[in-house]
Amino acid sequence: MSSDLKTTPLNPWHKQSGANMASFGGYDMPLWYDTGVKKEHLAVLESAGLFDTSHMACIMVTGPDALALLQFCHTRELSGLKQGRCVYGAILNEKGHVIDDAIVYNFAPETYMLCVNAGMGGAVSSHLLAQKQSRTVTIEDLTDQVAKVDIQGKNSARILAKILHDPATVFGAMPYFSFKGHFLKGTDQPVQLLDKTDVLISRSGYTGEFGFEIFVAPDKVVSLWESLLDAGKASGLIACGLGARDSLRAGAGLPLSHQDVGERKFVNHPWMFALATTEDGKGFTKEFLGKDALLDSADAPFTVPFVGENLRKVGTGPDTQVIDASGKSIGMVLTCATDMGIGLHEGRILSIASPDLPEGFKAKGLSCGFVLVDRQPNPGEKLVLQENKRKINVVVAGEIRPHRTARLKITNFTG
Amino acid sequence: MKEINELNLPEDVKYTDDHEWVKMDGDIVTIGITDYAQDQLGEIVFVELPEVEDSFGQGDEFGTVESVKAVSEMYMPLAGEVVEVNAALEDAPELVNTSCYDQGWIMKIKPQNPSDVEALLDKAAYLDTLRG
Repeated sequence: MSSDLKTTPLNPWHKQSGANMASFGGYDMPLWYDTGVKKEHLAVLESAGLFDTSHMACIMVTGPDALALLQFCHTRELSGLKQGRCVYGAILNEKGHVIDDAIVYNFAPETYMLCVNAGMGGAVSSHLLAQKQSRTVTIEDLTDQVAKVDIQGKNSARILAKILHDPATVFGAMPYFSFKGHFLKGTDQPVQLLDKTDVLISRSGYTGEFGFEIFVAPDKVVSLWESLLDAGKASGLIACGLGARDSLRAGAGLPLSHQDVGERKFVNHPWMFALATTEDGKGFTKEFLGKDALLDSADAPFTVPFVGENLRKVGTGPDTQVIDASGKSIGMVLTCATDMGIGLHEGRILSIASPDLPEGFKAKGLSCGFVLVDRQPNPGEKLVLQENKRKINVVVAGEIRPHRTARLKITNFTG
Repeated sequence: MKEINELNLPEDVKYTDDHEWVKMDGDIVTIGITDYAQDQLGEIVFVELPEVEDSFGQGDEFGTVESVKAVSEMYMPLAGEVVEVNAALEDAPELVNTSCYDQGWIMKIKPQNPSDVEALLDKAAYLDTLRG
């Protein structure tokens, strides 16, 4: 480990627990623990997994013009974002390229928060300051001042309920992408753990599965982590590293910032819902930075999800090629991971969490991810991904891992 | 990851720079990957094996080991013909992690020149390559 890497408060816990550590976004983070990444991935599909995501950064945006600044700097239409709700989108520069992707939280009419990726708190804050102009707004980069853990999987609510004060109220009416409480003390409607620790609980995550992101003061995160693991022990909750986080999000069709979205125009991708597009799809509902570039994007490449024929992978980046049926190279691989919880059955993808699994079905894993190509491929089109001599066969996919739980009603998981 | 002094490196096998081990038994050589290699790769999810009767020259790529993190090629420690592959790895590739010198062997070959084995690294020389 290089000494200039930053650490989260859970770093000693990870190391004591046999984690294989690696640098990610400038932080020394666990890739997997001694349980192994496959078990970690499957735990989220079968029960629940716990992730240290304290490397992510929060930025508070407050003041009379907070909404106006975010409307200009974030790709989502935020005018209808209700208090207690959050929404996913991207922060673009004037070229329409992605500086980072970010979730906007609406706390109160003049109080918003952005949650951005590891190491991006400074860059996004500076960008917001540069775009502030005459607006009356305060931007506060809370990098390393807020810790976060994600509990993901169908047992998340039942486990979290064991350490929450008044879980029935917290989980009452808690739709996908809503949140309650605050990581600071002294808010109007606090959400607290049994030990009185204040937390912000957001029904979101990065796995495609039901669960929560829990924001908490850094000095409280180790005890939160340990009490969750303790509360979830009997139901199979385990700590999960970035390896499982990456394979779960790939199977769920979610992008990794600076890899699947980044220095290219934020168009022609599977996340068009993250743009404030008008109903006819031809324009945008608001003015925002990067809009003109996006409207002039006839030559922009296409970001397309794929699924492999088995679990074999290739590398990613400019040394890879995407070859179509005519033998022409049409692009490169952005993400290639193996979702170990899925497999093919009679030409259909099934997950270990799918209902009514056929007898004898065994999820052997399928590779999946995103390619960047210079033409729009057809759904189901066969492509070959190549890295040096290594080739794998894939098809252009819509959905990858079926029967995901992230969007289901919370009442499915609290009984 | 394991520290170098935590690695399991038996005395009765020879090693290569590419982190494979070979063990001579009569005129047959068994080949696998070392504890260092399996530890670096992490959890192995797939082993691509050659076919029996395939022939390879020394240094030729004969298969791949795929972990959740990476894909790694395996190279022939010495020239020869494949006489047996470890079919158990098709269903249980993790044997390479849990038992890299025993149940997790990769294949057996009949070497062209059995004496080539002598030129491979012993444990001390392999340890030197790991220490750089």
